[in-house]
Amino acid sequence: MTARRHQPANTYPLYLIPGAVAFLAVIVYPFALNVYYSFTNWQGVGSPSWAGLANYRQLMKDSQFWQSFQHSLAMVVAMAVVPTVIGLVVAAALFDFVAKHFGSKLAAVLRACFYLPQVLPITVAGIVWSWILAPENGSLNELLKAVGLGGLRQDWLGDPHFALYSVMAVMVWVQLGFPVVIFMSGLQRVDPALHEAAELDGTSWWQRFWHVTLPQLRPEIYVVMLWCTIAALKVFGAVYVLTKGGPADATDVPSYFSFATFFEKTQVGYGSAIATVMTVLILALTVVGLSFQTRAEDAR
Amino acid sequence: MSKARSRTVVTAMALASALLLASCGSSGGSTGDGKTLKLWHYEGPDSAMGIAWNQAIAEFKKTHPGVKVEFEAKGFEQIQKTASMVLNSDDAPDVMEYNKGNSTAGLLAKQGLLTDLTPEVTKYGWDKLLSPSVTTTSRYNTQGVMGSGDWYGVPNFGEYTMVYYNKDLFAKNGVQVPTTPEEFTAALAAFKAKGITPLADAGAEYPAQQYLYQLALTKADRAWVNAYQLYQGKVDFHDAAWTYAANTFADWVAKGYLAKTSSGAKAEDAGVSFISGKYPIFFSGSWWYGRFKTENKFAWGSFLWPGSKLTLGSGGNLWVVPKKAKNKQLAYDFINITMKQGIQNTLGNNGGIPVAASPTAITDPASKTLIENFNKISAADGLAFYPDWPVPGFYDDLVSAVQKLLTGSAKPDQVLDELQKAYDAGAPKS
Repeated sequence: MTARRHQPANTYPLYLIPGAVAFLAVIVYPFALNVYYSFTNWQGVGSPSWAGLANYRQLMKDSQFWQSFQHSLAMVVAMAVVPTVIGLVVAAALFDFVAKHFGSKLAAVLRACFYLPQVLPITVAGIVWSWILAPENGSLNELLKAVGLGGLRQDWLGDPHFALYSVMAVMVWVQLGFPVVIFMSGLQRVDPALHEAAELDGTSWWQRFWHVTLPQLRPEIYVVMLWCTIAALKVFGAVYVLTKGGPADATDVPSYFSFATFFEKTQVGYGSAIATVMTVLILALTVVGLSFQTRAEDAR
Repeated sequence: MSKARSRTVVTAMALASALLLASCGSSGGSTGDGKTLKLWHYEGPDSAMGIAWNQAIAEFKKTHPGVKVEFEAKGFEQIQKTASMVLNSDDAPDVMEYNKGNSTAGLLAKQGLLTDLTPEVTKYGWDKLLSPSVTTTSRYNTQGVMGSGDWYGVPNFGEYTMVYYNKDLFAKNGVQVPTTPEEFTAALAAFKAKGITPLADAGAEYPAQQYLYQLALTKADRAWVNAYQLYQGKVDFHDAAWTYAANTFADWVAKGYLAKTSSGAKAEDAGVSFISGKYPIFFSGSWWYGRFKTENKFAWGSFLWPGSKLTLGSGGNLWVVPKKAKNKQLAYDFINITMKQGIQNTLGNNGGIPVAASPTAITDPASKTLIENFNKISAADGLAFYPDWPVPGFYDDLVSAVQKLLTGSAKPDQVLDELQKAYDAGAPKS
């Protein structure tokens, strides 16, 4: 008979319990309840009455929801696409030009400045921007007047033709710091020899950016795009503070629409259906994005 | 898995489940000890109501030695958006200020979250202090519709809208104070001719929709209001009153009497622009009166909308006692103190409209006029409530509607179509 070797017990699962319980309590349980309520008519208290798929049928033909969803796509442009593009150029410029010619300290200070809006609570930033964009005595209009461009003054947040673009511009400002920081740390990972070799070959800055920096930063670009797209699809705070979905629904987004349906109209069942559809869309997008990212990384 | 390990896992899971259940459950359901009054309201400390209620708290403490008052200052929106959840929990206050109307207090009453105050109203005689039109917003039927049924709230102030005007700007521009609708329109045109936008406005919040509703009220009567607010008849947004209101509003925007740029402005912006002397006229509620008294640096006055027997207004916000309140008797005592003459006089002398003050105790002449006007309107059954009351969420629908009129992004007819759709979706189906 051979002596059995004592194997230490695998206690790792124990450490997972607190996280699993929290996940169940904070994510799974409320989401399951939300899905359940989406099949009911309910005012928030009392007994919900079963409505089957009625809320979803209503949602499918609700033009306000689809309009709000279109605004979400505009937010993806403002919060993911534009900040990623500008962020790449800014990060490369700070890393490759400012740090080299003016020192890494200045580059770090500028990076912090770009990141500052990310640290500010969105309500504070939103209120300040609503002052800047105010039609009367707003800083932007006053500035335009002062430089002789008074004819360009607008009601930036109150005119349906401009409101969505104004909110998008604010969101570009809010989001820009995130890709800048991620891309700058990504650039530090890139082998400097690649840039040096390209430089010795007599390439221009733009050629180096296009053929060296950009391909090297692909993993960071995927992360930033995915992260920011999800943030854009569920954007709420900025819309709430700046426009409350107005003027005339011009900046309404699904999360604000869901909130108003819940709390203003007290149609909890319908609000839950909106929230469920949003969650499913975001989850689907995340899964597609992650698999795309994994495939791209595997192909490298 | 060894027995010892499985025991550890089971114990840990049991503990975690207990914690989870505890976090999901209620925070205890103890009954009151009669030693603490939990009070919530959302009036600013410098407002007439804030001042009066601070005095009421002091008096309550004097008459209830040993009772602690736990006052929490809340925001209007905070209470508005979370009331049903808070009142459904065991953390409900004993007495709370709440907005009146079908989609607010009526909804809570229908949901069984408020205490029926009818016995206390009779016992303390509050009904004898309040005029019938003020009590409309205190009583709700089983469907949560105001005007009849049991008492679910007690108001102790009133409010109404009026035309505030800058006397200095009127005099400087040679404009007469209007007394008829024609003179009113002529005054607007006269200011516009001098390059001045006459009406202070805010499209992102209530002021713009109050202009619209007041325009409709000039062509309406009590039956029209009752149909709209109390569902006592068919509501047609393409009737003469609403059509006149939407067309006139759009016309005033086109003529520059209402600024297009006001579509994104908030109520505060409109009020401040009147205070700064930029606009000569502002149509809004008596809740601005005290502030104008303090902050206006020019001679100003007010008059009722010319040619209209009806104006926006009602009894003020309600004191409600949640069904789950623990110290209801203390709550009743507190409400009773706020109805006493001393507190009511304080309210009246600080720019509020008391419902039970002694006429001789109001010493400020401006406050006297304000209160007299309210009593006149109230006695003539002229309070037409507010346009957003009939259905939940209608406030946002109205904001969207007037913004479309201000920016010209929809025709009056289309706007009225949208309002009809939103109203029909939210009104009780009978």
